[in-house]
Amino acid sequence: MALWGMVIDLDRCTGCQACVMACKAENNVPAVGPKEASRERIISWMQVLTEEDKEHPDGKLRFLPRPCLHCDDPPCTKVCPVYATYRDPEGIVAQIYARCIGCRFCMAACPYNAKYFNWHTYQKEGPGQNPDVSVRQKGIVEKCTFCHHRLQKARERALAEHREIEPGEYVPACAEACPARAIVFGDLSDPSSEVSKLARSPRAFRLQEELGTKPKVIYLTEGEARG
Amino acid sequence: MRGPGVVALIALGLLAWGAWYLLAEPAISQPIQFPHKKHVELLECTDCHTRATKGPVAGRPSMETCLSCHSSGEGNSVEEKKLLAFAERGLEVPWKRVWRLPSHVFFSHRTHVVVAKVKCQSCHGPMETLDRPPARPLKTLSMNDCIACHEKGVGPSEEDEQKGAKPVEAVARRRISTDCNVCHR
Repeated sequence: MALWGMVIDLDRCTGCQACVMACKAENNVPAVGPKEASRERIISWMQVLTEEDKEHPDGKLRFLPRPCLHCDDPPCTKVCPVYATYRDPEGIVAQIYARCIGCRFCMAACPYNAKYFNWHTYQKEGPGQNPDVSVRQKGIVEKCTFCHHRLQKARERALAEHREIEPGEYVPACAEACPARAIVFGDLSDPSSEVSKLARSPRAFRLQEELGTKPKVIYLTEGEARG
Repeated sequence: MRGPGVVALIALGLLAWGAWYLLAEPAISQPIQFPHKKHVELLECTDCHTRATKGPVAGRPSMETCLSCHSSGEGNSVEEKKLLAFAERGLEVPWKRVWRLPSHVFFSHRTHVVVAKVKCQSCHGPMETLDRPPARPLKTLSMNDCIACHEKGVGPSEEDEQKGAKPVEAVARRRISTDCNVCHR
């Protein structure tokens, strides 16, 4: 069984935000408007975090694209009282909107702030949205799903054609959109896959590794270790 | 003392009627009284609902599909004349949708029809017995209906593989999943 993971090469990332926009379009992520934004209620499953060098304020900004890290030992799933968020057999941390009661325990538990709450009805179903992803309603938590619907579609296609999913057939929107090819996606359980090879590189590190969450989003950088 | 009693009775009646009117699913009437029974005697379901084998939504057949049999205009039934009247004006038949899943459920006809080979009737009910279009879905489906079927799906045994079951089909059977993520996204 596959174990889906992602490698993000920070030395390649230019901070262009293509991944952010691709994610928003793909997953019907709502624009919350200026009033809500000023209350820090922006929903953005993929976020490019910026980091300034304090000693050289005029120097370059550093970028760190942050989706849900799909921890192998996720803290968010352990606090969910209704089994609305859980780690599925292929390592994807799922969020089942129909089950979520909006208690936001998972948001408090996530050390990476990767979960978002719908404080209001930010959008209704309509034309222009992706029909493969539900439109979230008021009062529930949402987050990056590794574009899980794409896996379902790829699997459906493969099954109907009586074959296995080929590597590269299932890729999230952010990885597809990245012009610098900084985001690589694939099966971590296959040692010969590109992600596995990159994850073993000496440049690899994980965010807040000391927490023991075992994120399946792995960063690469030549610079000094961060996180 | 009879006055208030009668008023209360009328009010109660109105309330009951209101509740029925609001809560019961409205009956759907189709533009043509299509008899499934007659068609299923000659055709398979997927001969007309062709998209069921190609994608998630089965859909209603197009005018082109109807005309591949009915174009001669020899028919003398009232319903066939209605069909040909639509065709003459270059219109599709404005069929109304009867079956609707909640928006948080993602169901694929293709997987169930092509890969799992589930009979249409197991979800749609005895459509082949109908002389006229159904006003409501014949079955009310709940998640328990889905789960009951999915739980029956068992992984392939080694015996199956020795008997020469294709590995892909074995994989398909293993993937009859009850994982929430499979249908809710």
